[in-house]
Amino acid sequence: MEERLYDLIFICRPDTPEADIDKVITTLETVATEKGGKIDSVNKWGRKRMAYRVQKLREGYYVYMVVRSSQGEVVKELERRLKVADPVMKYLTVRLDEELKRQDKLKRHRERRAARRPRKTVPAAPPMPGTEPQAAAPTA
Amino acid sequence: MAEENAPQQQSYGSSGGGGGPRSSGPGGGPGGRPGGGPAKRGKRSFVRKKKVCRFCVDKADFIDYKKAEILAPFIQERGKILPRRMTGTCSRHQRWLTVAIKRAQNIALLPFAAEL
Repeated sequence: MEERLYDLIFICRPDTPEADIDKVITTLETVATEKGGKIDSVNKWGRKRMAYRVQKLREGYYVYMVVRSSQGEVVKELERRLKVADPVMKYLTVRLDEELKRQDKLKRHRERRAARRPRKTVPAAPPMPGTEPQAAAPTA
Repeated sequence: MAEENAPQQQSYGSSGGGGGPRSSGPGGGPGGRPGGGPAKRGKRSFVRKKKVCRFCVDKADFIDYKKAEILAPFIQERGKILPRRMTGTCSRHQRWLTVAIKRAQNIALLPFAAEL
């Protein structure tokens, strides 16, 4: 199975100490490596106001990470851990690689079109100077 | 007087008939469109500005659900996703946009509904 890329965001309760959040992150990292995956990056967004109340709380501590794996088991296990972890209120995993592939395809498509465009405009350009003197002649 | 009035009424009626079904009431919800302009009686010239897809202008290849501030203009105050006819988004980008908004809602970056 080819490698897949995932976004993983989870929200901790705002009153958890930083050490506990770090503990959650390290356990996730070990779990991912055990199962044959890898956590590419971890980005703590910090305390943010949530758009609606979750567990009667208005704020949450957001952590964002990018997970890379070729086994579906990795995501399954990570989500199970998040569900069990006490400070975690909410989590979301989104598969990214297909969107990145699409993005790549569109970019290549646009580049190809951009590369083709100059060739089209070059033949179009010579007539332009030709028409200008014609248009200028009647006025002069 | 009568001759003057008649053509005026006719033009008023025809323009009203043309604009009626499309505009469907000037108070068509929040996030009002630009270019509608103040509809003056008698003189009704609708010069509606052509709306362009904002994502096409930026040449966006994907819409990031993590950037709530980009998605926020495309939802109503109550939390509903604005339709294409209001925002001018092209169909492809609207498709991506709805997915992005729904993801953002799931992780509490955007509201599902306004809180009371």
